[in-house]
Amino acid sequence: MFKILNLSNIFYWIEKLIGFINSIFFILLLVALSFALIFSPPDYLQGDSVRIMYVHVPSAWIGLASFSSIAILSIAHFIFKIKNIKLITKSIAPIGLMFTCLALVTGSIWGQPTWGTWWAWDARITSMLILALFYIGFISTHKFISDENKANKISSIIAIIGLINIPIIKYSVDWWNTLHQPASIKLTGESSIHSSMLMPLLLMFFVLILYCALIFLMKYKTEIIRIKKKNLKRT
Amino acid sequence: MIQNFLNMSGYGLFVWGSFAITFIACGLLYYKTLKTLKKYERDFAKEINELSAERKKIVIENSKIASQVLSSSSKTI
Repeated sequence: MFKILNLSNIFYWIEKLIGFINSIFFILLLVALSFALIFSPPDYLQGDSVRIMYVHVPSAWIGLASFSSIAILSIAHFIFKIKNIKLITKSIAPIGLMFTCLALVTGSIWGQPTWGTWWAWDARITSMLILALFYIGFISTHKFISDENKANKISSIIAIIGLINIPIIKYSVDWWNTLHQPASIKLTGESSIHSSMLMPLLLMFFVLILYCALIFLMKYKTEIIRIKKKNLKRT
Repeated sequence: MIQNFLNMSGYGLFVWGSFAITFIACGLLYYKTLKTLKKYERDFAKEINELSAERKKIVIENSKIASQVLSSSSKTI
């Protein structure tokens, strides 16, 4: 069982997975874009501007999911002290930051024609901005603190504190009066989104998840090589 | 018909702008990540090649990663 977790085996599987994702990615991207831009109908109220949701919503989901994973893995790192966990969190963080920023930017572009403003200090948007700041804090500790153990400790603390922000983002639309509508898609209970719009949304989400997996694997591979290179110098 | 598609009933700039920003950002992150990975692979392969023949043999025998990086870097060369 633990043989699978060996860095050499992980490295082997990373190469295989990168090849596999590269082989299917562009076909799936074309299918998802066709649904998002051509086949899905315009919304009866928002018109064609609803198509912005097909990049905005998956970006926000990925931003939230990435930070939740980083925070949970950081807790695991504190308990089990497995170095590999820090390689994983370091590889996830830039992806999460990019998608959080994309959620903010595409949300702002959607806000202009829909709400008549590029920006509003409402609870959902502000808490997403705070999430981006937590990402920046996490990445900066690894960039600017040369002592790796110290950087790992500080970044873990940032991630764990940032975890408090995740339920705030999720429930901000229920707890406060915000410009944002309540969640249309629910894991438990009936979703209020029509299947003709749910389909392109899920397809775009799947394609972006594949993209994230690709970037994560490449970054993780880089981290493994960096460690091996360091070990080579030591011996 | 194409003009209608591009115009998106008046929301074209917003819709295409959002998709363009998303794909440009994704493309840039992919490019930067790939560039960094290739640099690390090249540097690692170079360091192994600079070792003495005996030491290099030991490293390759003991590390699957080193042998994989060496073989992939020799393919790209």
